[in-house]
Amino acid sequence: MTDRKDFLTREKFMQELWRYKKGSVTRRHFLGVTGLGLASSVLGSAVPGLRSAAYAQGSIGDRVVVASWPNYHDPANFDAFTAETGAAVDLNVFGSNEEMLAKQQAGGSGWDVFVPTNYTITTYVEQDLIEPIDLSKLPNYDAASFDARFADAGTVNGVVYAVPRNWGTTGFVVNTSMLGDLPKPSSWKEFWDMTRAEFSGRTMVHDYQLTTIGNALKYFGYSFNSIDPAELAEAEKLLLDAKPHLFAINSDYQPSMRSTDAWMSIAWTGDGIQLHRDMPEIDYVLGKEGGELWSDFFAIPKGAPHREAAYALLNYLLNPEVNAKEVAFHGYPVADARVNAILPPEMLNDPIMYPAAELLSPLEFGAAVTLTDPNRAELMARFKSA
Amino acid sequence: MQRQDLRTWLLLVPAGAWFLCMLILPLIVVFVFAFGERGAAGGYVPAFTFENFANLGARWTAFKNTLILAPLGTLACLLIAYPLAYFLALRASARWRTLLLILVIVPFWTSILIRSYAWIYLLGGQGIPSLLNALGFGNPRLINTPFAVLIGIVYGYLPLMVFPIYVALERLDKRLLEASSDLGSPPWRSFLQVTLPLSMPGVATGSMLVFILLMGEFLIPAMLGGGKVFFIGNALVDLFLQSRNWPFGAAVAVALVVVMLVTVAAYLRFTRRWAGGRDDVSLM
Amino acid sequence: MRIYAFAVYLFLYIPIGVIALFSFNAGRHASQFQGFSVQWYGKALSNPFVVDAFKTSLTVALSSAVLATLFGTMAAMALQSVKGRLRIAFDALIYIAVMVPGIVIGIATLIALVTLFDWLNPVLAAVWPLADGAPKLSLGYGSLIAAHGLFSMALVIIIVRARMAGMDRSLVEASADLGATPWGTFRQVTLPQIFPGILAGFLLAFTFSFDDFIIAFFVAGSQTTLPVYVFSSIRRGVTPEINAIGTMVLAVSLLLLVTAQAILQRGRQAG
Repeated sequence: MTDRKDFLTREKFMQELWRYKKGSVTRRHFLGVTGLGLASSVLGSAVPGLRSAAYAQGSIGDRVVVASWPNYHDPANFDAFTAETGAAVDLNVFGSNEEMLAKQQAGGSGWDVFVPTNYTITTYVEQDLIEPIDLSKLPNYDAASFDARFADAGTVNGVVYAVPRNWGTTGFVVNTSMLGDLPKPSSWKEFWDMTRAEFSGRTMVHDYQLTTIGNALKYFGYSFNSIDPAELAEAEKLLLDAKPHLFAINSDYQPSMRSTDAWMSIAWTGDGIQLHRDMPEIDYVLGKEGGELWSDFFAIPKGAPHREAAYALLNYLLNPEVNAKEVAFHGYPVADARVNAILPPEMLNDPIMYPAAELLSPLEFGAAVTLTDPNRAELMARFKSA
Repeated sequence: MQRQDLRTWLLLVPAGAWFLCMLILPLIVVFVFAFGERGAAGGYVPAFTFENFANLGARWTAFKNTLILAPLGTLACLLIAYPLAYFLALRASARWRTLLLILVIVPFWTSILIRSYAWIYLLGGQGIPSLLNALGFGNPRLINTPFAVLIGIVYGYLPLMVFPIYVALERLDKRLLEASSDLGSPPWRSFLQVTLPLSMPGVATGSMLVFILLMGEFLIPAMLGGGKVFFIGNALVDLFLQSRNWPFGAAVAVALVVVMLVTVAAYLRFTRRWAGGRDDVSLM
Repeated sequence: MRIYAFAVYLFLYIPIGVIALFSFNAGRHASQFQGFSVQWYGKALSNPFVVDAFKTSLTVALSSAVLATLFGTMAAMALQSVKGRLRIAFDALIYIAVMVPGIVIGIATLIALVTLFDWLNPVLAAVWPLADGAPKLSLGYGSLIAAHGLFSMALVIIIVRARMAGMDRSLVEASADLGATPWGTFRQVTLPQIFPGILAGFLLAFTFSFDDFIIAFFVAGSQTTLPVYVFSSIRRGVTPEINAIGTMVLAVSLLLLVTAQAILQRGRQAG
């Protein structure tokens, strides 16, 4: 590395670093130009058992356990991480933030990384279930390059507890080839009405109080986050009325949509992209009354058994180049400008990923109170066991 | 005598301690929790309230589903298992009997999870319904219905029913059947008057086993019911692993145990009358 | 009759056939067959989480079955000579252990232990004499073995007791009359007679623990047993890897069964 300094001046290095951070050059280019790539490859091959210079300081162990969401991770990136660091990734997926929280409250999850949504983080902090993030272990995280709107919820009382993963919207997917003469629905009103009529037996809702109750509230024009007992009572009536007409209550609706057992489902951005990509007849719709705008975060639970591996994985996934591959796989937008700079333009112009402003403006972020409100929890449980 | 007493005690202590620490104490904790209140973010806060029990009606559908589908599933298992057990015990050639018996248990050794998963595919739109459609029987929806759950139940628990009945029929003194037919009674009468009554202990044992397991069932409705056919087991898991209402969950658990004790006690009385006062037939 | 039996066997084996068939699928999806391949077997065997879950399941099943068989047999023997209240109490315990659904056992163990650990851990940390910090009690192997062993032990007691009921008491008395020690009588007279019951109890206990999902779902803590792993894999989106795991478990149990059968057959012929 020393002899490389001769022809790579300090200014040039900073310039390259800046270009790389801005995202106008790839990591490979950056590493190649600065010689860091050569250094790391030499170091990596010289030290047996350590396959990457970045992790040469110490072993991170042979595994890392992740709790996240369905259809949200490119298995190829996990495989690449394992090849690079020797740590295998175990992915567990959940259907709701409530389920993730419950698992941690019920005595030890064994997770190293989990992916909470914006509205839950204050509760995790209050319950002492989440660790502050040691940013010095995440050199790939650059707070300045993130859109504050989707990053702020990770910081509570000035302490960073979580770093942004992706953001997105909650709308619904509909298989337009099953519509017949019906017009394509564009509102939650139509969603629930069709569920109880033409699409009876073919609609799915999430096993998730926030989105299922929230979008039932939208039918009446109430806030997605309402905890008003009278408004919740109306939403419950609608849900109970719709229940016999549902195909299933499940947050992983992709298999049923793909097999065309289900024709319509409450859905998140990325599932909309993935389904639409493979089956163009499936469209993603944002209800015009509004609904949810959300951002997910990476966090480390208290007592994570493989903390070093957790940081290594987070750092790996925050690498803009890797993150861009993730986006290409799952179709959820990121708030990281470095990633957007290297995404293909057709993704940046995708109306599912980046909905029009007038569709975005009525959306609400989930509110922390919905997570802890006993009435919403019990309403959802009643709806499911009805 | 003294030494023998001591020995008896020593032999009983490990089992007794295990039962007390891992069964009785936790059940007492559940009972105590059932009078508590839900914490702000979930969990349990000590209190003394009957609210959780008063609220049990909110899970009536789950209780109803369980109390309908558990006996129905037991009956379905029985109806399908009996002829098979009869065939194995009385009709199959001795050469094949062992193999055929083993073939009944083998499916039991793949995880119930994986076996139920196979039914998700078979009952899903691309499985049996599409086959029926091709044959011109319309396109019925099977997955996520009580029927799908019933299929899963029969599939999962059939071996548990076949075995006790087989054992009872196998022990049956075949000379009784010969005597019956020698006396000129037609086969169906021999069956009704000799075979069936003598196989009743097996029927009672199998039904008991399947019924007990079904009352606490969670997996089959979870996988084949699509969240639409809730058993009490599903409601319980939901209360602990989603809505985090431990006290209410504890109350539901207490209610489930009470319902079980009542039904099982009634069942025992009923079958004891059949089996002529022997009390060991209903279990094992 | 024969046709009926055939139909039932078809019903039993079609789903298993489907599982086995798709374990050889070259594609990622478990519902469309895209060519023959054994790659998923390699994937499953080289997946450290599968191997670990298998080891955990095996450890838990073996330990709980051994403990349950040992303590259960001891209790069954002692109960022979116990009458009165103690007998009634023990019978009640056994009935409760069999009757209370696994899901309630799981939940009860979970909330009791989590509450207990919440009290104990701070106390332990305060009084721990060594500098390296007190061990933190948590759910894991201990709670799995204890909760699984409970039901198994009740099963063993019932089975061994049934076996003892059919035993010839006069042999035991004769042995005692001839001056054998209680231990000698047990080893030479009682044990050979009740051994099939003990073995059956052990095998049932092992199978129950190895296949249990619902209790482990609640009390496994950060450990993962094979059924818990399979459950989370199914939720993650099924790949033929799960089919491969299921097919392998089935193949191994079949192999064990055939071997056991062969040994028994040979023993019978030799004897």
